Amino acid sequence: MTARFHTRRDRGLEITLSPAEVELLRSLPEELRALYESPRGTDAAHARLFPPAYFDPVEREAEQEWQAAIHPELLRQRLEALDALTRTLDGVEERRGRMKVILTAEQVDAWLAVLNDARLTLGVRLNITEDFEPVALDPANEEAAAYAAYAWLTYLEDEMVQALIGETF
Amino acid sequence: MVRASVAPVEVDEPIVDESVRTDRPWIVIVWNDPVNLMSYVVLVFQKLFGYSREKATRLMLQVHHEGRAVVSDGPREKCESDVARLHAHGLWATMETQSA
Repeated sequence: MTARFHTRRDRGLEITLSPAEVELLRSLPEELRALYESPRGTDAAHARLFPPAYFDPVEREAEQEWQAAIHPELLRQRLEALDALTRTLDGVEERRGRMKVILTAEQVDAWLAVLNDARLTLGVRLNITEDFEPVALDPANEEAAAYAAYAWLTYLEDEMVQALIGETF
Repeated sequence: MVRASVAPVEVDEPIVDESVRTDRPWIVIVWNDPVNLMSYVVLVFQKLFGYSREKATRLMLQVHHEGRAVVSDGPREKCESDVARLHAHGLWATMETQSA
């Protein structure tokens, strides 16, 4: 966990990452795109990202209308965020083992959207609970890599948010 | 919601949000979940609703401790839009009528 952060005057961020960290970020869009475009009702992570709006099942008709009206827009926004993240990582060069990414405020929002969706997805896959502690797992555990990714994405997202709001929770 | 670090959070007052009016038909609820970060939820409440840091933090803590909080209210169309914006940010939100 070695990312470094600098806030920019335009509410953007400058983030210094390792090549392995950049590699992890580059892998997110492909996985998330497949999930976003998977058919409704086939995947618990998809259901978590696109939940119902109406609490009361009696509102089934309103729910269907809302989904029909809103879902394409929610999907479009998510796909756009994936593309934005990919673009910010294109052409980032390694210098002495570090990679510096400079993000505008808009690109920061796209990163947060992707990081949060990746964490929500891993949270479903790994059955993450509020008690989750980022401890190192036995590398032989087949989910060790996913847990490590979850812990690092959590760290990165929290650092980014706190750099933006200037407060610790 | 979770904290990424283990810094303690002090809560000394019961959380009552009097500014959320109760005379309108629809309310938007945000539910607690085990993944969204406390810091991120505060940021989203401020960004989407223009709430002050204090109000956004109060609502976030209410979600965290009580499992849910009313974050906005109004006519059906406004609440449908608020729920969509919360979903776009990965928060688990639903809407219901006051009497539900």
